[in-house]
Amino acid sequence: MPERQRIAKEDETVVARVQLFVTCLADMVRPQAAIAAVRAMERRGVNVEFPSNQTCCGQFSYNAGYQHEAAILARHFLEVFETGETGHDETEIVSLSGSCAAMVIHSYPQLLFDDAMEQGEPLSVAEDWKRRAQAVGTRIREWGTWMGKTFGSAQEKGHHLPVAYHLGCHMRRLLPPSGELTNMLKAQGILAREPDDADQCCGFGGTYSFTEPAISTALADDKLKNIDKLVHDQGAVCLTSADLGCLLHLAGRQRRQGSPFPACHISELVDLADQNRLTPEHIESLGDEGRK
Amino acid sequence: MGQLPFDPRPWPIRRNQALQDQTMRHTIGFVTRRFALAKRDVYRKNPAIEASRQAAVGQKRQAIRDMPRLLEQFRAQVEEHGAQTYMAAGAHDAIAIALRIARQAQAKLVIKSKSMVTEEIELNQAFESAGIVVRETDLGEYIIQLAREKPSHILAPAAHRNRHQIDELFHHDASQQGIQPPVSDEIAELTHYARFRLRQEFLRADMGVTGGNFLVAETGTLVLITNEGNADMVTSLPRVLVSIVGVEKIVRDWSSLVQIIQQPAMSGIGRHLSSYTTMVHGPRQSASAEGPDEWHVILLDNGRKALLGTEFEDVLSCIRCGACLNVCPVFREVGGHAYGSVYPGPIGIVETPLLTDLQVLPEIPSTLCTLCHACLEACPMDIELPHHIVALRRLKAKRRLNARRLDWTMRTWARFWQTPQGYRRSVQIARLAQRVSRQPRILHSAPGLFGGWFETRDMPAVAAETFHEWWPKHHHTGASEK
Repeated sequence: MPERQRIAKEDETVVARVQLFVTCLADMVRPQAAIAAVRAMERRGVNVEFPSNQTCCGQFSYNAGYQHEAAILARHFLEVFETGETGHDETEIVSLSGSCAAMVIHSYPQLLFDDAMEQGEPLSVAEDWKRRAQAVGTRIREWGTWMGKTFGSAQEKGHHLPVAYHLGCHMRRLLPPSGELTNMLKAQGILAREPDDADQCCGFGGTYSFTEPAISTALADDKLKNIDKLVHDQGAVCLTSADLGCLLHLAGRQRRQGSPFPACHISELVDLADQNRLTPEHIESLGDEGRK
Repeated sequence: MGQLPFDPRPWPIRRNQALQDQTMRHTIGFVTRRFALAKRDVYRKNPAIEASRQAAVGQKRQAIRDMPRLLEQFRAQVEEHGAQTYMAAGAHDAIAIALRIARQAQAKLVIKSKSMVTEEIELNQAFESAGIVVRETDLGEYIIQLAREKPSHILAPAAHRNRHQIDELFHHDASQQGIQPPVSDEIAELTHYARFRLRQEFLRADMGVTGGNFLVAETGTLVLITNEGNADMVTSLPRVLVSIVGVEKIVRDWSSLVQIIQQPAMSGIGRHLSSYTTMVHGPRQSASAEGPDEWHVILLDNGRKALLGTEFEDVLSCIRCGACLNVCPVFREVGGHAYGSVYPGPIGIVETPLLTDLQVLPEIPSTLCTLCHACLEACPMDIELPHHIVALRRLKAKRRLNARRLDWTMRTWARFWQTPQGYRRSVQIARLAQRVSRQPRILHSAPGLFGGWFETRDMPAVAAETFHEWWPKHHHTGASEK
């Protein structure tokens, strides 16, 4: 990639520069995931920028049919990430959720075009929003896929710890194939195993999880049954995913039923592996960090 | 605007009844997964069919755009063959036309092949009210007719019933008829019983009713695909034949038919073609040995033409294969009856409100979809189902059909998060609420709309230090050295 080469010439220790999109869920209820992602990137020489005016991609409004509300958040997102703090316009944006990245890539251009037209803006303004959204859409990646692509899976570790891996629907169906992510995990000694019926939704669905809790939970229970099978048959030590929404939904269901099982973002596993602390005990204590 | 029948019970009642029916959930989960797997296999083993699928999409889209002209061509051809055609604007019109034909023919027993359109217009009920006996001859339709139910799946109407339940129905029927019941609940025995029962009706019926899978404009041909061959009997034995078909079934010519006709079986059940293909050109000619004396073709609009030229036009390309139902996680949980419409599943939650301008079941695009996009992946006709579901939710919000609490929550939420200051304030408010409700680490409840989450799940509280708060404190002080 020409951009990365240019940066590398300026400073040999910096292999890449990225803007981090932390996502609202990671920021508020699982900051450990974002901290782990930052540490894993910086260890590899990545210069991480965090545009601190960022809030949320607006998918919760968009999917519920509140287009104008979603467009307000989308415009804010563009304004934050078009410049970042240092104005590196070509910088890749890494998102700690596959679903949010898909929202920016697939829904923003038309959403902003339609909303501008609906607000009575001239066509040229609407088209300009669309173009800006498309430009930002070409820069955004899901974090794990970006890590896999950027750092490959060269330094393979000998041992492998099996984990239950949930590939969320939007990452599975709306983003490019994420094989590099699981290869990267494998290189870190993390064997990502998908449960039976892996391509069936876990039932989270954003706002659907609280507007239709009964069906959402029935789907979670189906998913958890298959995850249990991975635990029993393959010794999976935790549940992991690149999408926190699905994780919070599944882990929240397990906790309510009195059978909590470790669940963490993939970044937390990579961070542990980096420090040679990838053990069931360390994974189990991940959720407690910063909460005591 | 179209007229569609619907289950008047409120959504929570339909939903809860479905979720409590473990036998149905097990049966529908098994059947849908088997169909979905078969579809995946046939595409994997035959890479060449992808090109034919894409050609079919192109042909079908073009036929929909040319619908007015092609329908005229079809009607002219059919009438030249000695049949009558009718345009029915709505369900009531189609019923009136069909009843008039039945009365004129003095029909007492009507046999039918499987048709979703006649479910859509509730033809059986209208005929029965008029004192005409109607017999469904598709095995699945026959089963639900005995059970007095609506179809639960577009392709497999009795997919919610297992063979033990079907055996019970047949036993009941046998005792009423005073005939021998099925020997066992083996599938072959059940089929044998239905075959014996239906054979008598086939020979006695004085009118046949079909739907239609395709209308070929070029030659004025009605094409029906079945897996049981019953359409052959329905279209050739009774003296009067009535075919009721949605206007969107039109295709231009035989070369496009050849592409499109494979798609329902391949995507619905994972086979290259349905077992039987039945074609009707017209009533019996003087030289031919069999066929009806009269053929009447009723072309039904019922809200379809209103979608032409709109962002929803691709919905008219639906070939009723059921592939979207088979992969839908929500359909697999609740089955077809919970939807309350004759059209369930992803296509049903789009089509039911669209055909009726959101008058019928406007809640279903919101309550029966997680936006997982599995339907889009499965649809052989590339219908933008998730996109349409979001669009319908948007229409609902715009027309103020949502609960006010939802409007308020979504607007307030967005108002807070449109600025960094508002976002920070929302974190402070959440922390305060957590302190007041004494839930420092794990939340077990929350007010308002968010309470739905906590009916069944816990959630971590807002962190003592969010990432936004962590970043300025830790980042530039060598956090990366760890």
